Amino acid sequence: MSRTDQFSRSVTVALSDIQLQTALDRGTTRGVNGRIAAMGETTDADALRHQARLAREHALNHLPDLLEQLERNVIANGGHVLWARDAAELNQVILDLCQQHGVQRVTKGKSMVTEESELNHALEARGIEVTESDLGEYIIQLAGETPSHIVFPMLHKTKEATAQLLHDKLGMPMTDRPEDMTRFVRGVMRRKYLEADMGISGVNFAIAETGTIATVENEGNNRLSTSAPRVHVAVMGVEKVIATWEDYAILVQLLARSATGQRLSVYNNLMSGPRRPDEPDGPEVFYLIIMDNGRSRILGSEYAESLACIRCGACLNACPVYQNIGGHAYGWVYPGPIGSIISPLLLGPTNAPKLPYASSLCGACQAACPVEISIPDMLLKLRRDLVQAGDATFAWRAGMRLWRQAMLSPALYRSGGWLAGLATQMLANADGKIESLPPPLKAWTDSRDFPAFAKQPFRERLKQRRRSKEEPGVGA
Amino acid sequence: MSSAREDILSRLRRALAQQPPFPDRPRAAYLPVTRLSPDEDLKARFIAECERVKGIVRVAPDEAAARDALRDLLADRNARRVTMWDEAHIPLSGVAALLQDLGIARVQGDPADVAAADVGITGVDWAIAATGTLVLSSGPGKPRMASLLPPIHIAVLTEDRIVPRLEDYIAAERTRQLGVFRRSSNVTLITGSSRTSDIEMHPVFGVHGPLELHVILIENLRAARG
Repeated sequence: MSRTDQFSRSVTVALSDIQLQTALDRGTTRGVNGRIAAMGETTDADALRHQARLAREHALNHLPDLLEQLERNVIANGGHVLWARDAAELNQVILDLCQQHGVQRVTKGKSMVTEESELNHALEARGIEVTESDLGEYIIQLAGETPSHIVFPMLHKTKEATAQLLHDKLGMPMTDRPEDMTRFVRGVMRRKYLEADMGISGVNFAIAETGTIATVENEGNNRLSTSAPRVHVAVMGVEKVIATWEDYAILVQLLARSATGQRLSVYNNLMSGPRRPDEPDGPEVFYLIIMDNGRSRILGSEYAESLACIRCGACLNACPVYQNIGGHAYGWVYPGPIGSIISPLLLGPTNAPKLPYASSLCGACQAACPVEISIPDMLLKLRRDLVQAGDATFAWRAGMRLWRQAMLSPALYRSGGWLAGLATQMLANADGKIESLPPPLKAWTDSRDFPAFAKQPFRERLKQRRRSKEEPGVGA
Repeated sequence: MSSAREDILSRLRRALAQQPPFPDRPRAAYLPVTRLSPDEDLKARFIAECERVKGIVRVAPDEAAARDALRDLLADRNARRVTMWDEAHIPLSGVAALLQDLGIARVQGDPADVAAADVGITGVDWAIAATGTLVLSSGPGKPRMASLLPPIHIAVLTEDRIVPRLEDYIAAERTRQLGVFRRSSNVTLITGSSRTSDIEMHPVFGVHGPLELHVILIENLRAARG
């Protein structure tokens, strides 16, 4: 949990990693362009985003009732519903199911919730073989790494590094073609699906009115993981439930367009319980596990909005900070702007003290969000919480007090501005930039220049401009 | 009843007890996502969208032409083993006879057996024009694996099954009391052939699902199906 403490160090490492910078640049550019094109061609992007937002708000407002309705309908479809208060309990529930069904091998579709609980470690500790089935997740697993993006888990890896890994670990002939690498992994994974006793999947949406869980994917790995093994276990956070199929239709389309720039993802799997007695294939048993792990606490807080997130990853691609540092620097499961909110909320704010500051508050995340989450607002509130919890240096507090005084007194503000202009002009180089300041301001100039204040404050210029405007005959 | 369940539900109710996190705003009828003109040619749009996502569509004016298209395709891909839905669920008669004619073996049953097939042949419940999507539900005689395990998936579709948008498909299922989502353990919306963008967001087609998706689209024929 203290991985987020290493934020500053991780950032420094990330910024000087040429391979990572190449991969991030290629990946996020494609991601942003794809989303803009796909949202732009819709009937009315802003109206649609608002619709999606209302669907999520409705679900969160009625969360316990919808979960009970979901449970009733899953049971009516022949499935089982289990609950987990936290990550440890989730792993225990799954381990118990493995024991109950004599499970030796598991294939997993993409699931962020099981990243929260580090399920793979728990299974492997019990001698159960677990294979990530998503191409990117599989390669990450081979490398012994964790995902660095919600949708593109191996965004941090170049194709060259991927080829080398597959060559070293599995003996793939060297190639620089993603097509060849993909075909190679297809062959390896085929056997895994057919041998697996249990398939574990995440849940993108759980539709309460029919007890159906929806997953979204492009590769077919999720369909295979949920159809070939005899036991299917689907894992969801409490916030994933939605009320109606109409809500599904809007949300799933905005998810695809925002995440990958597709009109619809290749496979939208809608699963209602286990195979029926007269069906030729599909899992014999179906379990849905509903996990809280801190979400109920968020629901009752001023951060409830963060639960509306549909995990499209658009805010990651759009964020100038993410574009430069990648996902691993954030130190936990959820990176990027939304991760900077979710991680402190789930881990406790003082366990992720740097993340709310990992933002320039430029608002690109909010503009990209398909469910209109006010990410910058919440980042500011989290900063406030941190200060109130005592996480602020003496210099910071003193500086803020000074600022407050100046803002409350026009005379002080005026003279302060004049003084700042004078002082910074004296320190500045020929380009009007200050290259080095004494501590604690040194932290700023270590990585960038500080621009000198203007010789003439804006207020003065405005006054002058007004005066000159009032004189007839003088051009504006 | 597990106590985890009670705990979680009561925590959630407590969280909402003071006041719900969002004002209960009225939700108007949804605006559909995709632009579609009122006189849109659904067949043409479906073909264009399906091909955009690397589906290959063959249009057949009648069943005889559809059978010819299927025969050509199977011969061209050198198919030896085929897995398929029961003929009753494929809107084209004589598929089994055609396979026999071509000396192609039929495999079915366990996924391990089906995995040996070169081609899977299925019908299609509905198709969505705006996104080039095929809707397939599981059921008796309709295995999931036929559209999933073989490297080539051939779907036989009749024109009358094409609806404009996903929203229209959902609305139609609503008029049928959403029965399919309770009856079928699996409904899958297939939009193109299996793909990934995991390596540098570079699109690659043919990952874990079929490498090729073919649609044989039969014009002006009413499908007789249950």
